[in-house]
Amino acid sequence: MIELETTEAGPSRRQFLQGTGAAVTATALTGFAASDTPAAELQPGGGGQVPAVGPGAAKITLNVNGRDVQTSVEPRVTLLDALRNYLDVTGCKRVCDRATCGACTVMLDGKVVYSCTMLAIEAQGKAIRTAESLYNDGKADAIPVAFARTDAQQCGFCTPGFVVAMKAVLEANPQATPAEVERGLQGNICRCGTYEQMRDAIYSLCNTKRV
Amino acid sequence: MPWPVTRRLIGTRIQRLDGIEKATGRAKYSFDINRPRMLHARMLRSPHAHATIKTIDSAAAEKTAGFRGIYLIKKAGAELFFAGDEILAICADTEEHAEDCLRAIRVEYNVQQHVVKEADSLTAQTNVTGGLGANNIVAAGDFATDNFDTVAFQGAAATHEASYGIAVISHQCLESHGLVAEWDAKQENLTVWASTQAVPNTAEGLRVHFKLKPGEVTCICNYMGGGFGSKFGPDIQGIAAAELARSTRQPVKLMLDRAEEVTVGGIRPSAYGTVKIGGTKEGRLTGYEVDCYGTGGVNRGPTVNFGLLPYVYGPSIPNVKRRHRVVRTNIQTARAMRAPGHPQNAILTEQVLDDLAARLNINPMTLRLANLPPNDLAERQANPRTYPGQRADIYRTEIAIIRKMCSWDQAWHAPGQGGKGTIKTGLGMALHTWGGGGRGPNPTRVTINTDGTVVAQSSSQDLGTAHRTVMAIIVAEILGLQPTDITCIIGNSQHGPSTPSGGSTTCPGTSPAILKAVELAAEAMLTALAGRLNVQRNQLSIAPGVVVNAANNQRIPFRDACRQMGVPNVQANGDWPVQKDLQSNAVLREEWTTRLTNQGVGGVQIAEVKVDTETGVVRCSRFWTVQDCGLIINKLACESQVAGGIIMGLNYALYEECIYDRQTGRQVNPDMEFYKLGGIADMPNIYVHMHDMPERGVIGIGEPPTIGTAAAVGNAIFNAIGARVSHAPFTPERVLAALNNRQAQP
Repeated sequence: MIELETTEAGPSRRQFLQGTGAAVTATALTGFAASDTPAAELQPGGGGQVPAVGPGAAKITLNVNGRDVQTSVEPRVTLLDALRNYLDVTGCKRVCDRATCGACTVMLDGKVVYSCTMLAIEAQGKAIRTAESLYNDGKADAIPVAFARTDAQQCGFCTPGFVVAMKAVLEANPQATPAEVERGLQGNICRCGTYEQMRDAIYSLCNTKRV
Repeated sequence: MPWPVTRRLIGTRIQRLDGIEKATGRAKYSFDINRPRMLHARMLRSPHAHATIKTIDSAAAEKTAGFRGIYLIKKAGAELFFAGDEILAICADTEEHAEDCLRAIRVEYNVQQHVVKEADSLTAQTNVTGGLGANNIVAAGDFATDNFDTVAFQGAAATHEASYGIAVISHQCLESHGLVAEWDAKQENLTVWASTQAVPNTAEGLRVHFKLKPGEVTCICNYMGGGFGSKFGPDIQGIAAAELARSTRQPVKLMLDRAEEVTVGGIRPSAYGTVKIGGTKEGRLTGYEVDCYGTGGVNRGPTVNFGLLPYVYGPSIPNVKRRHRVVRTNIQTARAMRAPGHPQNAILTEQVLDDLAARLNINPMTLRLANLPPNDLAERQANPRTYPGQRADIYRTEIAIIRKMCSWDQAWHAPGQGGKGTIKTGLGMALHTWGGGGRGPNPTRVTINTDGTVVAQSSSQDLGTAHRTVMAIIVAEILGLQPTDITCIIGNSQHGPSTPSGGSTTCPGTSPAILKAVELAAEAMLTALAGRLNVQRNQLSIAPGVVVNAANNQRIPFRDACRQMGVPNVQANGDWPVQKDLQSNAVLREEWTTRLTNQGVGGVQIAEVKVDTETGVVRCSRFWTVQDCGLIINKLACESQVAGGIIMGLNYALYEECIYDRQTGRQVNPDMEFYKLGGIADMPNIYVHMHDMPERGVIGIGEPPTIGTAAAVGNAIFNAIGARVSHAPFTPERVLAALNNRQAQP
């Protein structure tokens, strides 16, 4: 593969295609047909400068758990992989890698997303929160505390994802009922089968007696 | 050295020590280990179910950006036995580049015949899988009691014959198999961070592969993300990672991706069989006949365990005939999965019981009570605490408890009487048994420091069973402390040997060693203190939070007592005693197996289901269980294990199946979208009653609760709709087919 020079935003698509040998090699990676198609025809709207990055690594800035952190990733790198492989933020786990199991769940501007199914470059400018944000100055947030107290985890590999999903529900609606909180966990899967104990955690967080 | 009779902590509900670390994402699993200069590895696998390699061309891969190293597992000419069989591993500076490198490799194959369906394999005349042997039968067994054909069903008021079965499923560990490997500067010592159920075994497997000396490989596993019997050694991917780390002189991470995890990370063998059973009008079973088969991959037989049939009822059915065939298929090799063979055996016994009960017009609970395995009286006389000596009593007691819990007498109805609407309700039950005995060596070291801190250490691992907390509870119990006062260090092979965590053996295998270590440490502490206080040793004793000096009635806070020991610390090692009979060389541990640990449990489970007869969708609406496991160490974690085992069983009953395509021989659902696992909304409230039998000692609890669940669900569906769904998973399609068959019959 031919390495392209990248600016902070990466090379523009025009620059990218103008590179002679580079164009042919790189087009295969980005999915364009390797042909003589004029660059202008490939651009949305037929002209003008469209900022683009890749295919080489580009510098990105992510706001993770309240801090701006910089790294350099190829545009194809998912938010999950950027967090885990490039920034050593490993509370979000890679399990299905296909937006099914929820182990990679993070909050993006307060909303839950599967970080395995979003590109890191798309997450720039948004506040990213992982389970690690729920532990500060030696003190854990009420949700992980409830998980620990009710033993709503065994191997624990899925747990940070569940915790983040639950945090998002309760932050959006502190008065959420146990049924509403449970609905917020339906995008997550636990293989050890700790749902019964999760319900105990949910009821305790909702200050509701479980019958 | 018995367990304390009055127990302050043991048997109570205690929060796991590392719960907050795990829940806040701060716990570092092997998958989370990032080392400086670490490379990422990926594996190339066979796309064909059966082939030989013609050529491997890695030239383009080696010129690909980021390429660092390649390790050939198989060479040209090698045979590949399933889609997913490993060929080579490559590593690169980033995961993305590693994938590019993998795509640049060209392999030519000679594709050969394959078979991936059990029934196809059973009827094939020749061995087409490439597995060893002349035909497709890996293992077979034929057994019959005397004169079975003439006497088995002679006195039967009714017989029932039908087919039952359950599919191949995957372990689906959430943290995939794999490890991070790193050599020291001189390339002499290897350290791996592995996701493993056997820390010392994993180190030993690598040591043997690299021909190193003892101690030169360190395996670390601080946290591990799921292991149900498939993670007992380095595996080929672990060896590949360590080879690449050595050739590149850089740390290498190789964790399987999801498709690999599902296609090579271990399966539970399938089981399909035709079963005939007969009983008298009082409900005494006269005979049980089974002709069954299943697959555990190309070369696997043992974990199918068909030889146990008719399972729980083996000792109570007078006439038994059994024919089983374990067939080869071009799929991955089975690995022991949570109670290997037992859930399949429950499927082939518990369901036919309910079908017979319907023919005899008997309540299935009554039928079971009439056929419980009798207490083994010889065993009972030799040792009243063992399972065989009291199994009938255990089941009878448990059934009496669960009968009330689920209001069986009011809620149970005859099969097919599940309500007037389109959604039918039903109840079904199943019994199960498991061993769960522990063994050594599990050396444990307890250190009491002069500053009052206490450290317990072993090489064992925590799969999610809260093993650290088990250690802390036992140590704290003896020292009069709280579990949070104890620092537990596990998951490092340099701490000595330990037994693999499989078969529900960790808690019973380690508890006696932990108890021994802490009792010796307490003794050493009190001896040192007595010398300093100038009193007799026997005048000092430990009470909650204090050391009591009987000489002057002084109560010395534990921390002060440590400070006054006069030595920096006291330390003691505990383990199972290795006593051998000099003549037979048999290991003697009678006292330990009967008082500190034990084996053999019985359990009973009842499912309530709601079946939508228009869509075929089954929902398990409530679930009850009564389970014994001897002396419970941590009731909170124990109940969680039981509920979790049931949920795994519900997935097995309703959702899970590895689906293989007959044409391509590939698994079509090596993922989590089409390989279904239930979420919280799919799972019922589960009511767990632990039948505490502390006098028996510690017994493991991991396997038992997952055994009978699928069979109980099958019976509940039958009870709801009056039609038997023969094969699990009990999908809507199969439920509708069963309903149609019933309607088609007069």
